Amino acid sequence: MTVDQISSVAGRRGSTQAAGRSGTRPPTSIATRRHRAFYLFASPWIAGFVLLTIAPMAYALWLSFTTFDGISPRWHYVGFGNYRELFADSQTWHSLGRTGLFAITSVPLSIVAGLGLAVLVNRPIKARGLFRTLLYLPAVVPPVGAGIAFKQVFDQNSGAANGVLNLFGIDALGWLADPYARYVLIMTVLWTAGNIMIISLAGLQDVPRELLEAARIDGASAWRSFRSVTVPLLSPVLLFQTVTGVIASVQTIMPLLLAPDPTPAGITALPQSNHLYMMHVFAEYFAFGRYGYASALLWVLFVLILVVTGLIFRATSGVVFYNVDPEAKK
Amino acid sequence: MTTTSPTVASPTVTDPPPTSPIAGSAPRVRVNRLVLYTVLVVITGLFLGPFGWLVLSGLKTPAELAASPVHWLPAHVQWHNFADAFNLVDFLGYARNSLVIALIYATLVTLSSAWVGFGFARLEAPGRKALFGILLGSMMLPQMITLLPTYLIFAKLGMADTYWPWVLWGLSSAPYLVFLFRQFFAALPRELEEAAIVDGCGYTGIFWRIFLPQSWPVLSASFVIAFTWTWGDYIAPQLLLSTDRTTLAVAVTSTYVTSAGTPVTNLQAAASVMYVVPILLVFLVAQRGFVAGMSTSGLK
Repeated sequence: MTVDQISSVAGRRGSTQAAGRSGTRPPTSIATRRHRAFYLFASPWIAGFVLLTIAPMAYALWLSFTTFDGISPRWHYVGFGNYRELFADSQTWHSLGRTGLFAITSVPLSIVAGLGLAVLVNRPIKARGLFRTLLYLPAVVPPVGAGIAFKQVFDQNSGAANGVLNLFGIDALGWLADPYARYVLIMTVLWTAGNIMIISLAGLQDVPRELLEAARIDGASAWRSFRSVTVPLLSPVLLFQTVTGVIASVQTIMPLLLAPDPTPAGITALPQSNHLYMMHVFAEYFAFGRYGYASALLWVLFVLILVVTGLIFRATSGVVFYNVDPEAKK
Repeated sequence: MTTTSPTVASPTVTDPPPTSPIAGSAPRVRVNRLVLYTVLVVITGLFLGPFGWLVLSGLKTPAELAASPVHWLPAHVQWHNFADAFNLVDFLGYARNSLVIALIYATLVTLSSAWVGFGFARLEAPGRKALFGILLGSMMLPQMITLLPTYLIFAKLGMADTYWPWVLWGLSSAPYLVFLFRQFFAALPRELEEAAIVDGCGYTGIFWRIFLPQSWPVLSASFVIAFTWTWGDYIAPQLLLSTDRTTLAVAVTSTYVTSAGTPVTNLQAAASVMYVVPILLVFLVAQRGFVAGMSTSGLK
C-alpha cells in the first residue's frame, strides 16, 4: 500500500516534468531523476511511518470503538461506549491528575536542576570534563538499572535513605509506598538531569560573550545578566526541554520499574500516588486484556498531548526568543 | 518544527576551548572556590550514590539486605554474588539476546537513517519540505502510545517472540537519527556529488561510495545511540518476547526470584550492575560522538 502511494506520488510529480518520457523526447531530465531519487531515499522512512506509526494508530482508533479483548471471538462495535465509560471511570481522572501533577513538578524541577548544573560546570574549574562526565553518567543508565538502584536506596529496611534519616533520629519511611512513592519517582527524573545539563551547556556556550560583557559594563549583577541575557537566549532550548519533558513524563514506565513486581502482571499493585495515566492504560491492556477500552484511553491521551503541546507553544510564542544571527548564515 | 532548529548545537560540548577562561559566560560573582568545589563534589556524590549503592547491595548477604537498621557496608564482601547471579539464571543467554537485538537494530537503523538523511540533505523534490516537517514532528510522538497497538499487530502477524519487529523498526529508520545524518550531509560541499554525476554515477552510488565513507563520526554516534536505546529498552521485549528469548533488561527485573517467588535482591543487584556497566563503558569510550549527538536535538 505504501509502496503504491510512494510510486504514485513520485509518478505524479514526475509526469508534470517529463511529459514526453514515453515519446521521442530526450530521456528523463536531471531534475526528474533527482525527484525520483529523493523518494527512493525517503521511502524507508515513509513506509515505516505509514506502517509502524499511522497504521497502528488507526488500528487503535478502530479498536477503541469495539469490545476487542484478544481472546473472545465475539467482539463487536460499541460506538462511543468505551469513551463514555472512560470519562466516567474514576481511575481515568485519578491517573490523569497524577500525571499532570508529576509533569508539572518534575519538568520544571529537572530543567532548573539541569540549567543549574550547566552553569556550575561551565565555570573555569579544575577537572571540568570529569565533573561533566560524572554528572551526565546517570542519564546513560538504562531505566531498568535506575529502577533497581532506586528500589535499593529507598528500601524501607536496608535502604540508604532511611539509613541517613536514622542518623538524625528520624523513623524509617516507607518510601516506595503511598504517599512517598511520588517523591522517589521525581528523584529518578532529577537523577537524569545531566541530559538537560549537556543541552543547556551547549546553549550557554553559544551566548555571545560581548552581550555579557556589555551587561557587566552597564553595572548588571551576575543574577541580573543571567536572567536578562542568558535565559532569554536559552529560551528556545528551555522550550524544547519543556515539551520533550512533558511528553517523556506522560510515557514514563518508571512507576512500573519501581513497583515490587515490575511486570505487566504486577501493574495493579502500584502505589496509588504513582498510578499515572500510562499505568492505567497498561493495567487495562495487560492485566485485564481490554484492548478496546485501553485503545480509547490511548487516543484520549494522544489528543491531550497534542493539545497540551500546542498550548505550550502558543503560551510561549511571545516569550521565546530566537536569536537569528545574520552573520551566521553563509 | 521551529523548535528543533535553534537547539542545534555545535558539537563542541565536551571540547571547550581549554585555554580561555570563559568567565564571561557564567554569572560573574566572586564565589568562593572552596564553596563551588564543595557543592560540585556533593552533587556529584549524590548523582553517583544510587549506582554506588547498587554495587554495595550486590556485595552483601541476603541477611544484610533484610536487616534494619541499614548495614552500610558488607561485613564480608560477597564477590561470589556476581558469579551466582551469572549462574542462577541463564545470564549469558539473556545477554546474548540483548546483544543480538541491539546489534541488529543499531546496524539496520544506522544504515537506513543515513540513507534517508542523505535524501533529505542532498536531493530536491516537491513535497520534501512538508515531509521533513512531518519527520521532525514525528520525533515528538509519544512512542509508548504507538507501541501498544503495534504490539497487537505484530502478535497478529505471528511476529511475537521473534526478532522481526526489531528488523522492521531498524529498516524504517529513526527520525532523530535521520535528522543527525541530514545535518551532517547537508554541510558537505556540493562539488562532491557534482563530479560524480558528471562521471555518470547514480545517486545510490554517490551515497555508498562518496557520502557514507565520509560520515564515520555520525555513523558511529548513531550506532552507539541506537545500541544504547535497544539495550536499555524494557517495554518492547517485555511485550514481544517470551521468557527464553527475552533480553537482559527484562530478565534482570523479573527472573531473580526463589522458587517461592521471593526476590533475591542481592543477586538482582549484582546482575543489574553487570547489565548497566557495559553501557557505561560504551558511553565512556564513545563519549564524544555520543554527547555531540545528544546535544544536537536533546531526545533520548
